[in-house]
Amino acid sequence: MAVDKRKKSTSESLRNTRTYGKFRCHNPSCMGRLQPEGGQGEVQCPECGMAFRVAWIRPDFPRIRGPVWEVNRKLAEEALKNKEGN
Amino acid sequence: MALNRKIGYVDLTTGEVDVQPIPLEARKKYLGGRGLDAYLLYNHTKKGCDPLGPDNVLLISGGLLTATCASATARTHVMAKSPLTGMLGSANMGGFFAPEMAWAGFHHLVIRGKAKKPVYLYVHDGTIEIRDAKHLWGLSTTDTQWAIREELGDEEVKSCVIGQAGENLVRFANVMTGVKNAAGRTGMGCVMGSKNLKAVAARGTMDINIAHPVEALEYNKGFIDQITSAKVNQTQGTLGTPFIWGATNSWGGLRTRNFQLNQLEYADDIEPERLDEIATETIGPHHMTGCFGCQVHCRAQYRIPSGPHAGKYDEGPEYTSQGAFGAEPECRSAETVLTGNHLVDQYGMDNLEVGSLIAWAMELYELGIINKKQTGGLDLRFGNDEALLEMTERIAFRKGWLANALADGGIPASEKIGKNSFDYLIQVKGMSNLHSDERATPALALNIATASRGSDHLRSRPAIDLYHLPEAVLRKIYSSPIPYEGPLSSEHTSYEGKPWQVFWQENCYMAVDCLGICKYHTVFLGATLPNFEDWPKVIYYNTGLEMTPEEIWEAAERCNMLERMFNLREGLARTDLKKGDMLNHRYFDEPCLRGAPGVVGLTIDRKKFKQMVDEFYTHKGLDKTGKPKAATLKRLGLAKEPSHLV
Repeated sequence: MAVDKRKKSTSESLRNTRTYGKFRCHNPSCMGRLQPEGGQGEVQCPECGMAFRVAWIRPDFPRIRGPVWEVNRKLAEEALKNKEGN
Repeated sequence: MALNRKIGYVDLTTGEVDVQPIPLEARKKYLGGRGLDAYLLYNHTKKGCDPLGPDNVLLISGGLLTATCASATARTHVMAKSPLTGMLGSANMGGFFAPEMAWAGFHHLVIRGKAKKPVYLYVHDGTIEIRDAKHLWGLSTTDTQWAIREELGDEEVKSCVIGQAGENLVRFANVMTGVKNAAGRTGMGCVMGSKNLKAVAARGTMDINIAHPVEALEYNKGFIDQITSAKVNQTQGTLGTPFIWGATNSWGGLRTRNFQLNQLEYADDIEPERLDEIATETIGPHHMTGCFGCQVHCRAQYRIPSGPHAGKYDEGPEYTSQGAFGAEPECRSAETVLTGNHLVDQYGMDNLEVGSLIAWAMELYELGIINKKQTGGLDLRFGNDEALLEMTERIAFRKGWLANALADGGIPASEKIGKNSFDYLIQVKGMSNLHSDERATPALALNIATASRGSDHLRSRPAIDLYHLPEAVLRKIYSSPIPYEGPLSSEHTSYEGKPWQVFWQENCYMAVDCLGICKYHTVFLGATLPNFEDWPKVIYYNTGLEMTPEEIWEAAERCNMLERMFNLREGLARTDLKKGDMLNHRYFDEPCLRGAPGVVGLTIDRKKFKQMVDEFYTHKGLDKTGKPKAATLKRLGLAKEPSHLV
């Protein structure tokens, strides 16, 4: 079998696109990249205002633990009201 | 070599055992695992066979790469006609069983008939023995496995077993191995129970000769690095699949209160980080473990921290137990989630089906469609943790009118309950939906509507659609190995290009299921994980079989078509709510009320959904009714099925 050991597959080449230290805002109409400071417990999206609690897999690897409930619920209620109004 | 593993045919009625090789032609067309099982099921059952009758065949298999030097080839696949749906039954589990069966000389078992009394199979170095299991009947899944090891005097024996739910013919009973590895959808444990088959035990010492061992090991080093360096797998190795539940709940993609809501607010006690704390407190810091040959280690170990089952050991929980014992019944207690997870593991029941059906019953109870007499005195309201766990136990033992009805599955239960109960049942093809809410994600809605075994995320879900990947990245992934120049959208609320993504993922998932690889090692949760272009090397180095990415794709497409042909033979009809590629009306009529601002208010657009199904059918080579065109069958070499190659 002619296995080309030099040629990178799609998955191997996409490896370079991985980003560490950032995550995306969970609002699908925003999806902005957020970059919390090391150890930061909460982060707010400057674009859409959604707020998230942050957990750390490693010191350089944050993830969204969950919403800041009061903040995001208020945003959801406002958005729903606007959509129903339309 | 890996390719010389055999098929064992067992007739439990007559006690006959036959062992046959797998012809190379069958390997090239169907690879192994789920794909070859689909071929065997189509060829060895007749239209309309009784799922609980002796003519249904139970297939247990490993994949083409099982027990080789390839990484994470631990998956055991189980297939039969489903007693839950009356259509394709198929489930897949991790653990250590399939490699042991391969070392014992077998890649596939075809089990038909019905034993007169409880038995188990002992698969050992090229032989299959039918043994008495009277003393095992009534034992839990874990106790059964230990009792078999004790009887055989060998702690290396691996077994796949049923618990009390399978014995009691609960139609969503699991086949299980280890403490929590579950072939847990479509009721394969119920089929085992109907055959009086308590377990299949395996112990093997037969070498598997690797075709090119040096290259296989060398390549696997890079493969492992590719897999373990992915962010998603590093998260899995820390938090397990609960991390997916946490993320899904964060934006509002979680089925809650049987689909009334799409987010469980203030669920902090069952978030992944909290479950991780409990595992650390009760087991220790190194509480994550893994399946055979896997480096991801996504499975947590824990002891129940409090309550009547305090101190009991289990593993997980997975996303589905958080859904079943958390969001769906609107319970917010870690103790409840961990206890519920333990009960379904020990009785051998599908946590997803249990949680969904109880949540459905809770909605019916609150609406007054069922009453307290029918619940056997339980106040079956949302948020009642005790009632939830009590009903879980009752279902396993079919205790009481409602539990007995639910144990038959949603559609039969809705017929017994009557009134308009079916309108509230969130299912596709008779199987309950995953505890996710797809109203904001058209691609995922199309996936669950068209999945071969009923509503399911592991058959064609383009989960990376949620990552907002740049279109260029999506195009790189979805244009290989088959060129695709149609639309693709980074926006997960869009309908653009989603049918192709679902079609691509359907073939990707079928391929890994044929190879025996875990889905966390391919494009499921991580865009940078291996797929079609990577597999030819793994296959060649380990087995010597030469296949191009295009040939693997075509084999996967063929196997998917066989599954569809089986479903069509059993009555699949496109828009039939009970047997078709269709969603409950709530997807179209009731908007999301929680979650991110971009999610609230969304429903699935009925017209666009129909267009997506049309487009998906076109990609698959189906006509408008969902049946394969003659040209498609000819192209895939399926025009003369059943062909009885094996």
